[in-house]
Amino acid sequence: MSGPLHPAARCHAVRVRSDRSPYPTAPSGLWIEDVPVPATDPLAERRRAAELARPAEGLRRVLLRYADGSCDLVLVAARDQWDRAALGRLAAGASVAPEAGASVGTQAGRTATTAPAPTASTPAPAPAWGLADEGPALPHLFALDDGGDEASWLAALAVTLRRHDPETTPVIGTDHGTYTVPEAATLGELKPSPADGPALAGLLFDEAELPGAYVPCLAPPFPLTLSVFRDADGWRLRCDHLSGHVSTEIAAQFARYLVRVHRMILTSPGTAVDEVDLLDEAERDRVAVLGRPSRPLVTTPVTVPEAFARIAAATPQRIALTEGAAGLTYGEVDERSTRLAHGLRERGVTAGDRVGVCLERTAELVVTLLAVLKAGATYVPVDPAYPADRIAHTARDAGLRVVVTRLPEFPDVAGCVPVSPDELLDAAAQLAGTPLPPTATTPDSAAYVIYTSGSTGRPKGVEVPHRNVIALLDATRQEYGFGTDDVWTWFHSAAFDFSVWEIWGCLLTGGRLVVVPYFVSREPDRFRDLLVAEQVTVLSQTPSAFAQLLDVDHTRVAVRLVVFGGEPLDARMLLPWFDRHPESNCRMVNMFGITETTVHVTEQTLTRRLALAASRSVGRALPGWHLYVTDPAGRLLPPGVAGEICVGGAGVALGYLGQEELTARRFVPDPFTGGTMYRSGDLGRLRPDGRLEHLGRIDSQVKIRGFRIELDEIRSVLLEDPDVRTAAVVVRRDDPADAATARIDAYVVLATCDPAAVRRRAAGILPDYMLPATVTALDTLPLTANGKLDTARLPAPAAPAREDGPVAADDDLTGQLRAIWSEVLGRPVDVDDDFFDLGGNSLFAVRIGAALRARGLPSLRLRELYRHPTIRATVRSLTAAEAKGGS
Amino acid sequence: MRLHGKSVLVTGAARGLGRATALACAAEGADLTLLDICADLPGVPYPLGTPGQLAHTAALCREAGAAVLTAEADIRDLRAVREAVTRAEDRFGRIDVAVNNAGIAAPSGKPVHEIDEDEWSLMIDVDLSGAWRVIREVGKAMSARRTGSIVNVASTAGLVGYRHFAGYVAAKHAVVGLTKAAALDYAPTKVRVNAVCPGSVRDDAQAEGRMLAEIARALEVPVHEHEKTFVEAQPMNALIEPEDVAAAVVFLASDESRQITGSVLTVDGGFSIR
Repeated sequence: MSGPLHPAARCHAVRVRSDRSPYPTAPSGLWIEDVPVPATDPLAERRRAAELARPAEGLRRVLLRYADGSCDLVLVAARDQWDRAALGRLAAGASVAPEAGASVGTQAGRTATTAPAPTASTPAPAPAWGLADEGPALPHLFALDDGGDEASWLAALAVTLRRHDPETTPVIGTDHGTYTVPEAATLGELKPSPADGPALAGLLFDEAELPGAYVPCLAPPFPLTLSVFRDADGWRLRCDHLSGHVSTEIAAQFARYLVRVHRMILTSPGTAVDEVDLLDEAERDRVAVLGRPSRPLVTTPVTVPEAFARIAAATPQRIALTEGAAGLTYGEVDERSTRLAHGLRERGVTAGDRVGVCLERTAELVVTLLAVLKAGATYVPVDPAYPADRIAHTARDAGLRVVVTRLPEFPDVAGCVPVSPDELLDAAAQLAGTPLPPTATTPDSAAYVIYTSGSTGRPKGVEVPHRNVIALLDATRQEYGFGTDDVWTWFHSAAFDFSVWEIWGCLLTGGRLVVVPYFVSREPDRFRDLLVAEQVTVLSQTPSAFAQLLDVDHTRVAVRLVVFGGEPLDARMLLPWFDRHPESNCRMVNMFGITETTVHVTEQTLTRRLALAASRSVGRALPGWHLYVTDPAGRLLPPGVAGEICVGGAGVALGYLGQEELTARRFVPDPFTGGTMYRSGDLGRLRPDGRLEHLGRIDSQVKIRGFRIELDEIRSVLLEDPDVRTAAVVVRRDDPADAATARIDAYVVLATCDPAAVRRRAAGILPDYMLPATVTALDTLPLTANGKLDTARLPAPAAPAREDGPVAADDDLTGQLRAIWSEVLGRPVDVDDDFFDLGGNSLFAVRIGAALRARGLPSLRLRELYRHPTIRATVRSLTAAEAKGGS
Repeated sequence: MRLHGKSVLVTGAARGLGRATALACAAEGADLTLLDICADLPGVPYPLGTPGQLAHTAALCREAGAAVLTAEADIRDLRAVREAVTRAEDRFGRIDVAVNNAGIAAPSGKPVHEIDEDEWSLMIDVDLSGAWRVIREVGKAMSARRTGSIVNVASTAGLVGYRHFAGYVAAKHAVVGLTKAAALDYAPTKVRVNAVCPGSVRDDAQAEGRMLAEIARALEVPVHEHEKTFVEAQPMNALIEPEDVAAAVVFLASDESRQITGSVLTVDGGFSIR
């Protein structure tokens, strides 16, 4: 809502220093303040600042007389009555009357109090890129080479704003109306034109020269106020901001970019607008460094079998794998995998081959993976639970000649031979005890190929070299204290790269790996029992799976570390965990990751504080990994601005198997390190502190009826409801060919209340076009084999949410009531708007009653309106009364 | 600083609790408008604040970093109060906090039937009506801005009776009543009104207060004996220091107490517990 502008936002001020008091005696209208310290004293500075921050109704003149004889004349005036030129003349000692247009009275002096106060335009909402906080709002000052003119600054502001938010047409406020700047090809062609709408940014421009030091506003009249002026220090730009819209760091960098863009407009107007880079070289370096980890990676590239051999040699008797009651020592795993590797060699597997592994989640599977690596080959995990055509696709795409499997009917793929572990052991029988022949495997060779289902097309194989796996462990081992006392779960399908972390994270740090059978992983209470019985210390989970564990009593679970991966995590869901497991007992770490960058990319330790604050941060890059956020043209984006997450460093995979073109598109040169970086297709923003916010897939943005919608945003609004445990949001079309039938369906797991209440609450937050049409309560959300949400298995939605069904009869009555309410209340009214929320009171109620009578409509008693304060309810009550009367 | 940028008006600011309050507010970043009668009152048997004492309070506040406006004003005179408030609003743009501190303890020291009409009227006019006049002049603008805090310095005499102090006790009880009624009037506009009830406050040399001595004189007992009586009557066995009262005023003036209105905060070492 608009309202009167805050007095401080209406005023500007100037301060002029002199060696001695210009006034031997106080003239009328001048307040003289003796400051009992020299002008340089901090207390004197505080006094100056206080006077320069104190708004005036009209004009105030204060002379600060310091103990050293010097003086400051401080003039504070309302901008609409004394503009900069007038303020300058006043400061020079002239007597200037307030501008006539702004004041109603003709009498001098206190006219301001009767002048109509300028109204603030409707404030724009806080922009996402502003990373609003509760920090101090500090003004930022910049010296300018050239002041330009108002039009050049409006153009510069429009370019800078568009780069921060390409979706929104910039509306820029000034002290004489709002403007926009239509898009143009070159900077020189950008011309402002008047516009309407809420202004996030405003420009206060005036070339009048002022003596002394000028303060263009005592408080920002626009959430982000840029003032260009000329005072004793020459041309300057000052940026004032509201921290609730734009934090002080973001405001400072915004102003720097603005100055740069403005200089380009003046010096090279022929530059194409699209070519403008907000960031200069120094700023690009700063932002690049921001995406780097806080500590360096110390790693020695070796192969996975070499690293395993070291552990096995050091602790051959320690248990490496637990499966039910059975256990395998490191020595046994080493020996068995060597025998299997012999068998693979005997089957013709040679270095550089890819070998499929399609086994149930068992100790045998781990031994087989190691055996493939020992044979010098690359393992390609295939989940036996996958549909046959997907298994066949993988076997064909990866060019598998050998697949180790116990599936009785492995799909028939030309050139691909299924072989069971027993057959391999038989083949290797006579070679038992002999060492494996050396392989040409290096740390740069591919260790595994894991297939990821992209949003488009068929799954593609990501080739990850040995050194990446070693780097991942070297990046985390010390920080998380992994060691021989740790017990890890292996919860995830080998075809999901979270298992790479679980298996090798454990076995290459000497821990004990507990196999979680598939059915245990799907039953939270049995899984809980396993965690307790095996005294698991390190638990890796997708948030969806962890949510199910939270639903059972987890008091006795004594893990010391939980690592989240695979899905976005809403930190609020962890509160019930923190209730029972204080941060000091168990560390909770969210790791954002991508298969193409070796499981994890960032780390964020979560605390109760962060969970309460619903932090969306996924933290900083792991040592050795680094991050950029870029625009579609590949330019680095300013911190705060959302763009594509790009990941460089030690985790970048070799590429997509057999897909040179796609690999070249997604694995591109890293402009800062000379290496390769991966363009993830994920949306994120870098915070000014270097932490990343992950905002979902770029392609999860959908359009409904022309509105751009971020499904993750809807989901997080649903999750803010304390009764909602987990939530999923999907878009469906009743008629797939007709975009107009698109509809948002929400699914929620609820603690107590009914789904209608969830939708009602969301309706208070989300704009209409983002409000789910249906909210369906489920006991649990269906998960894929990887433990992620399985949207394909979501049931058909409950009937579309209607508060109380459609309005019974008389639509004409509804229409008339809406017209009457709107007229009386002076604002648009919807059928479910609450009379009192709209500002209704008894007077309005009486007027509505009168209007109803005047139109010959059924009379409405005041009490009825209070009882049914919406139009829908009123109509129902009126029709019911009528029906009763007629019967 | 808890009162950073706030404009605070204090009555009876030349010395005593008024001075201590002004100084405490200045130390918390407030700018000050200091009122005092700066003249003796016929009928009050002891000297009141002087222009020199008011100037001294102002100087101390400036040293603490405050901008200070002083006004010699008698709170029995509505026009004088209005003029001072208008000047303060011109100078500082607004008044955020008003502290009704000015008050007299005597004429007292006699049974109720011996008080004459002038003595009774004087006591009510200064101690009760003075506070009302200030509220009347600052309340409207505070309401319009939907923010403000008014602190009335009452007394334990606003809670219990004291022998031979009927006028004073009646006036201070009324100040407590005024506080509660005004708090209700202004609650819808977020303007808060609270009272502080000090017990026996030491006559501190720096603050130049003399209330305790004057009460002793009215009761015709030596000051040290009177002090001893009150030290014993206050369970914490100490006199109240002016700073203790000022601290309570600062709390009620600051936004820390933003949900507190109509309350009576005793600073009496436990005197009113029993």
